[in-house]
Amino acid sequence: MFYPDRCIYCGNCLLACPNKAHVVNEDDHIFLREKCKACGKCTQTCYSGALVLVGREMTVDEVINEVLRDKVFYDMSGGGVTLSGGDPIVQCGFSQALLKKCKEIGLHTAIETAANCQWETLAALLPMLDLVMMDIKHIDSEKHKNATGVSNKVILDNAMKLSRTKKRLIIRVPIIPGFNDTKSEVEAIAEFVKKFPNLEYLELLSFHRLGESKYKALGLEYAATNLVIPTKKKIKKLSEAAGKSGIKVREN
Amino acid sequence: MAEKFSELTYKQRLEALCKTKMQQTKEKQEVLLVMDQDDHGRILPPPELREITEYMGPSGEMVRDAKLNNFKPKSNHPSGGFFGAKVCGENFNLFLKDHPVYVNPMSSLAGGYMAYFMGYRDPSWPPELASNLEDEQRKYGIYPGIGATQHFCQDMTIGFKLGWGGLLRKIRRYRKLNPEKSDFYDGLEQVVLGVQDWIRRHVDAALDMARKEKNPTLRRNLEEMAEINEWLVSKPPRTFREACQWTVWYQMIARMYNGSGSMGQIDVWLKPYYERESAAGTLTDEEAIFHLACLLLNDTQYYQLGGPGAEGKDTTNKLSFLVLEAVHRLKAPANIGIRVFNGLNPELLRRGVEIMFEDKTGFPKFLGDMGLVEGFMKNGYSAQLARQRVYSGCHWFAIPGREYTLNDCVKINFAKVFEVAFWDMMNDSEIRPSVDELWRRFEMHLCRAVEVTKEGLDFHMKHMHKVFPELVLDLLCYGTIEKGLDASNGGVEYYNLCIDGSGLATVADSFAAVEQRVEKEGLLTWSQLAEHLKNDFKDAENVRLMLSSVPRYGRGGTRADYWAVRIVKAFTRFVKERPTPAGFNVIPGLFSWASMISMGQTVGATPNGRHAYAPISHGASPDPGFLRGGSAPTAMAVAVASVQCGYGNTAPLQLDMDPGLARGEEGLAKVEALIKGHFELGGTMINMNIVDKKQILEAHQDPSKYPNLIVRVTGFSAYFASLSRNLRQLVVDRILSEET
Repeated sequence: MFYPDRCIYCGNCLLACPNKAHVVNEDDHIFLREKCKACGKCTQTCYSGALVLVGREMTVDEVINEVLRDKVFYDMSGGGVTLSGGDPIVQCGFSQALLKKCKEIGLHTAIETAANCQWETLAALLPMLDLVMMDIKHIDSEKHKNATGVSNKVILDNAMKLSRTKKRLIIRVPIIPGFNDTKSEVEAIAEFVKKFPNLEYLELLSFHRLGESKYKALGLEYAATNLVIPTKKKIKKLSEAAGKSGIKVREN
Repeated sequence: MAEKFSELTYKQRLEALCKTKMQQTKEKQEVLLVMDQDDHGRILPPPELREITEYMGPSGEMVRDAKLNNFKPKSNHPSGGFFGAKVCGENFNLFLKDHPVYVNPMSSLAGGYMAYFMGYRDPSWPPELASNLEDEQRKYGIYPGIGATQHFCQDMTIGFKLGWGGLLRKIRRYRKLNPEKSDFYDGLEQVVLGVQDWIRRHVDAALDMARKEKNPTLRRNLEEMAEINEWLVSKPPRTFREACQWTVWYQMIARMYNGSGSMGQIDVWLKPYYERESAAGTLTDEEAIFHLACLLLNDTQYYQLGGPGAEGKDTTNKLSFLVLEAVHRLKAPANIGIRVFNGLNPELLRRGVEIMFEDKTGFPKFLGDMGLVEGFMKNGYSAQLARQRVYSGCHWFAIPGREYTLNDCVKINFAKVFEVAFWDMMNDSEIRPSVDELWRRFEMHLCRAVEVTKEGLDFHMKHMHKVFPELVLDLLCYGTIEKGLDASNGGVEYYNLCIDGSGLATVADSFAAVEQRVEKEGLLTWSQLAEHLKNDFKDAENVRLMLSSVPRYGRGGTRADYWAVRIVKAFTRFVKERPTPAGFNVIPGLFSWASMISMGQTVGATPNGRHAYAPISHGASPDPGFLRGGSAPTAMAVAVASVQCGYGNTAPLQLDMDPGLARGEEGLAKVEALIKGHFELGGTMINMNIVDKKQILEAHQDPSKYPNLIVRVTGFSAYFASLSRNLRQLVVDRILSEET
């Protein structure tokens, strides 16, 4: 990631980069992203924090070490570890190994996933999970495909299969303006999940713009620039609509 | 006009009192400009009695005080000062005679204080009593506590049993047994006679006001007030309201005499009065809350709620909740801590957390019983005694009536010690600089700093009673009157003197920075580093950032975390390896009060990238911005727990949290888990602010926009608008750093 306003034009990155991805003048710094191979060398010498390498490789034990630092708070609150993302399914081998270790230590475990994967992949994680939080973004497959690039068939299938397990399940709906923010769309999801015997609740997650600066720093286009954050009142109304199906609904 | 003659409810009266309080605070902000300390319940003297003086405050800005211009102390010393029990007592007596009366007909309790007696002590120390320690104290940035007053806790139940008349008789009885101590008894007697006279004048004022008062509620209130105080001039309190009124008199003279704000377990010593009347049906909870609110408006004393009694059983009772409720209704600064332990009534903790998030006034604080008790026992005390050591000051605890402590008065500036060690090494041409060598010299100088501090404590203990004895606190201690000895002079049973370290993160991060950038990576030579420090990183912002970007203390598992623990262990070892040369036990802690600014002003640039003379880090806290990329209350909680000195004095955790964190039942439970988790790890105290970032920024730009905004600065809470710009900036930095 590149945060131009933090740059002090010291030129360290210029010297560090083997691919000449940085052009630095006295008061200007151009980052030629197409030349960047993400080797991270420049970030090690960027003391002002203008260049930051996103993500780092860690072993299961390294992650567990960090996790254990806060163990006392899990004990006090009944909390634990939640694998989130991206989607932890994408690195399912690592997720599996990490969850296994968590369970060995006796930690409560949860996962946040879109469940857009083969059932077997998800099923392999289930024995080590106490709680599954999965997204259902839309019931209409076409609309789902338009917005996310994939059909929702696998996802809904997986949700059905999950509902037949005994795992505690939370279904979450990110409320995106113009995509799924009408009563009927939310109601359709509520209808779909209301029979799930292991459903804890349906959670409506209001669209927010917290990711915008990160997109910018990554040089990515932020597709949601023109979207307006829904009002609390609107979310409340959608939540009431979903609640009519008789299930518990939470707003966030 | 009709309303003027109708009865008033407690609610209406409390609203009127809060309004008056806001007016008084506003006037203080206008006249005194800045107040870098507790808000205090102090009221300004009437304009015709005001004498404005200026002095340098703890945050390095000039602060003002308003003195009574009608009082002039008498001197018994060529320096113009006054020293010794007798003359201090006599002068305080005269001071009280000249002090105006204050009766607010809305309040159930009479009295209000307007000036500080300490302001008239000039000089405050006899010049001929010089110690030879000053050079070294300056060298190591030591706040030696020599001449420091109060900072221990009396036992209120002694006063409740005896009343002022009983105290006077007790003094006179023991005077006969110890005739050689007449000077001390004279002093004590003058204090009691002074307060009795002051109370009497309030009786007259209340009666006078009652005659003129048209409102039936207020007239009755004033008449009752007169009657109650007529009784209290010499007799002990009989009712809940009388006990509150007695407390008001005591806390005012304690505060005026030498600034004492320590009170202890209010829910224990007021309990018998509450329960008796409550059972008899003569006191409703509404009335009790009202009296408590009046008491808490009178001053911002330090109280503990709940926690174990001597035998380990929870002391929480109905009154504990009523005290919380009283502050909740007032929404004024208050310094009250809930003592959290396994046996605590969970509802008290829950109610405390709820109020913390609802009111956002930095109230209440949370106290970690396990770390306190187990730690204090390591000094050789029983669990019973350790449990009785109760919360009674900014970051500290004391056994009421039985222990002298100098808590929060004695500090060593770790950053200054580091600076001495660094230059000591660099200027030694015989050796090659290294991190090992730097640590060796740091240890050596820290050890010496602790020794110098201990010698200073002995110096204080030897002379303080001859200079300015604790005439108000002495009244309610065990042994002082009996033996005819001031608390600082062997009057009480236990002596556990405080030595706090300050600026931990500054030094830990500095060690980590030189270790990585100079020694490991070789990006900088020692002499280059020295040059940059000398030049305060002039034209070398990149070098400064290179040093400050080394993973910091607080992140967990870093070298800086390792250094922090190592520094605290060494400090604790030096403090604990032997008592002071005269044999006083000393207890280490980590705290800088609001002195981060003044302490920083003596220290040049440090290898953690801190600019010369900038503030040092606060107490045991990581430096703001220690964890880039996220707010991290749990990381802070783990870090601060890892650097506890472990002998019963505290290293507080300062948390500034977003109001959104405690949404709903689940949120409250999470905050509780954070509190309990920190204490489970051995933490001793949590000061929390719930801050709306936007609001605090606006208030910093224009404090007058938010005159009611209260923040917990460190151990104390204050109106944000009353603080100096420097101190406001530190609070703002701390809060904003969690975002970047």
